[in-house]
Amino acid sequence: MAATTRHLPVVQNARAWPLRFTVVGLSIAAAALFCASYFFPWWRLWLFAPQYPKGLEVGISLTGVSGDVRELNILNHYIGMKSLDLAAVTERRLAAQGVGLIAALGVVLTLVTGRRVGWLIAVLGAAFPVTFIIDSQYWLYHFGHVLDPKAPIRLPPFTPQMFGTGKIGQFMTWARPDPGFWIAVAGVACLVLAAVLRRRVCNQCARKEKCGMVCPSAFVGPGAGLAPKE
Amino acid sequence: MKKGIVALGAASALLLAFACSKPTPLKPDLGASKSVKELMAARGLSEADVEAALRTYVPTGKSDDYMIFASGGQSGQVLAIGAPSMRLLKVIGVFTPEPWQGYGYGGDGNAVLAGGNQMGKTISWADVHHPNLSETNGDYDGQYLFVNDKANARVAVVDLKDFATKQIVPNKLVMSDHGGAFVTPNTDYVIETSQYPAPLGREYVPITEYKDKYRGLAMFWKFDRAAGRIDVAKSWAIELPPYTQDLADAGKLDSDGFVFINSFNTEMAIGGTLEGKPPIESGASQNDMDYLHVIDWKKAEKLVADGKTTDIKGVKVISLTMAAQEGILHLIGEPKSPHGVDVTPDGKEMVVGGKLDTHATVYNFAKIKKLIDDKKYEGKDAYGVPILNFQESIRGQAEIGMGPLHTVYDNKGNAYTSVFLESVVAKWSLKDLKVIEKVPVHYNIGHILAAEGDTVSPDGNYVVAMNKMSMDRFSKVGPLYPQNFQLIDTTGDKMRMLVDMPIGIGEPHYSQMIKMDKLKPISVYPLGENPITGKKDPSATLAGQEKIVRNGTTVDVYMTAIRSHFTPDRIEVEEGDTVKLHITSLEQSEDQTHGFTINMMNIDLSLEPGKHENVTFVADTPGVYPMYCTEFCSALHLEMAGYFLVKPKAKK
Repeated sequence: MAATTRHLPVVQNARAWPLRFTVVGLSIAAAALFCASYFFPWWRLWLFAPQYPKGLEVGISLTGVSGDVRELNILNHYIGMKSLDLAAVTERRLAAQGVGLIAALGVVLTLVTGRRVGWLIAVLGAAFPVTFIIDSQYWLYHFGHVLDPKAPIRLPPFTPQMFGTGKIGQFMTWARPDPGFWIAVAGVACLVLAAVLRRRVCNQCARKEKCGMVCPSAFVGPGAGLAPKE
Repeated sequence: MKKGIVALGAASALLLAFACSKPTPLKPDLGASKSVKELMAARGLSEADVEAALRTYVPTGKSDDYMIFASGGQSGQVLAIGAPSMRLLKVIGVFTPEPWQGYGYGGDGNAVLAGGNQMGKTISWADVHHPNLSETNGDYDGQYLFVNDKANARVAVVDLKDFATKQIVPNKLVMSDHGGAFVTPNTDYVIETSQYPAPLGREYVPITEYKDKYRGLAMFWKFDRAAGRIDVAKSWAIELPPYTQDLADAGKLDSDGFVFINSFNTEMAIGGTLEGKPPIESGASQNDMDYLHVIDWKKAEKLVADGKTTDIKGVKVISLTMAAQEGILHLIGEPKSPHGVDVTPDGKEMVVGGKLDTHATVYNFAKIKKLIDDKKYEGKDAYGVPILNFQESIRGQAEIGMGPLHTVYDNKGNAYTSVFLESVVAKWSLKDLKVIEKVPVHYNIGHILAAEGDTVSPDGNYVVAMNKMSMDRFSKVGPLYPQNFQLIDTTGDKMRMLVDMPIGIGEPHYSQMIKMDKLKPISVYPLGENPITGKKDPSATLAGQEKIVRNGTTVDVYMTAIRSHFTPDRIEVEEGDTVKLHITSLEQSEDQTHGFTINMMNIDLSLEPGKHENVTFVADTPGVYPMYCTEFCSALHLEMAGYFLVKPKAKK
């Protein structure tokens, strides 16, 4: 009797399909947002000094820097800082493939992870912007510390501020995330939500007990369904 | 639940605000000092003074509403002045080398200046008279400025993209000019009219043959707007009688296609004071009437196209006989020794100031056109040029005062005439030709300008009196006094004198005043641009391309300049080598200019951001020559230096 009930998909799916497709939809949305973030600057830095009344503005995206880079490089050479083109060369070269991979992985993990490791989806998503922050922080540190000892002006090593205000020489700096970052964060939010909803579905799954590292039903594949109510 | 949504909304709004915020630098709070009354008392200022100050004061960081382009007189340059603040913004090097702009000290500007050489001589000054802005449909378009050199018969083209002189064209036929530079309503032509008659083409002819062999000339320089240059090959001229042609103006709207030129000395006096003859000043002032020249230039243009011209020294000239026969040139009497001829904004009338007459005479174009079309002539002059009747050509005369010279207009149907002998500006109505008001100026006003006052749509808010003398207006600076520009507000019923501006560089003649927003100058050149060609220079040098190339005894140095170094910073050549420096500024930031000099070589360049310059010279004297940046560019400006070494030739 129980077996027959288990194979009554009409009743069960009436409750589970919308949620299952919402979860998959969220992971696709996350993929789209991650891809979109590739085309926007992620970070923005302003430098102010009396002789720059409009300020200098630099945008940092996954592929490079934009804005008053030329002027900033000219100023940086006085303190022996490397040209900004030399920052994160590998990261920038692999950015497109990396973003594509993360976007695809989000969808794939949503489909294939088993009930106990569903949290991997959220972790994967969060890892994306966190990696960006850590990597940027590393490069900021690197650029502020590996200075040409023969430069005309010698500054004690420093790390430019990544958030809020800072001071370098006569410059007041101000930095904050830019749309690209927030778009990626929205993607992360989608994945977190996907993971939470997925867990709710999986906890009621008919194949709950058989589920290991991999979902035997590919989440929305054949055989996916809820356990009958007691 | 609801609270949660509100909180979430508020949080996202905050996040959004943070994400989209842009910081602004702190502004210093200057605060107020003494009360205005106290300050007025302390400085002895009246309420009128304070009001004038309030009308002209432009605080730091704010822009003027207008730019005045003023002739720099004998300096050979043009002045750019902000109004209403009347502050000098720039001296534009035009006919005279201008070291501040690296103009004429070895760089590419040398070729522009050399283009203006006359009769095999290097001419390094000019008597700059009348700047004229390029026009589209009779209105300033803010693209180009033309200016003439009375002393050496030349016209220069200044590109207002970078406020730099691009071309000087010498007139090869005449010895002086005055009626220029005036443009036709769409800047098809830049008109330059000779002043003192002389044999066209410059051979020697005894002055006793003045009437037969001496001539005047109206030059029509064809302007190629796309190229931004005068096209000398497509330019042509009309031979004129040896009356001393003076100022000119191009017709517009109704009178488009015509040019009007004043003249004096129709007596053709030639002086001879040592021989006991009267000086020109009295000989030229005997007749009560001189001749207004009316030229149909569109008709003339067709004659030129049909090849009906005479070649004089390679210039296509419509002969005087041809001009008279074909109805291109007509004369009308004008009283007496006139000076300015100024077409009204609607193009229907021309106002002529009679220097030795008390009137401004208002000629009516429709009447003149009818007389010409009906071939109704009063007679012909000695050269066969038809003369139209004075009374039948005019609408009337305004009784202005002693010595009316030039006239400009506002947008309310009023004219403003400079009155030299009375030292006043006379405001009068074009409607009834009655003087409304006179305001004293200080002193001896020559030209007058109004805000867009010689276009089809004057603005009507300002007039500037350009006074030849300043006498007691300024602190003493020795016997050569500054000239005096006086800004007058014309918005109210009464004219109101606002502020004086001393001009300590030359005697300006005409000026024009253009609305600031019509000007769209660039602030940096694209990397490697040669401003003279307007293109990237073939020798433009980018970072990493610097090199020294020797080819026989010629040494090409491809250099860059950027804060705070030249690359290369050491150049060694041999005595007698021809050195060609090609320097590109790699800067792209606003106002980040470098200079370049090699000491003792008379080389001085101005390297604005992106600009490329080429210098060629012979290293003829062995020695060690420092080279350095001549513009305080950065904290390490003094360190922006290097050495140019000239090794003595090895003794054989």
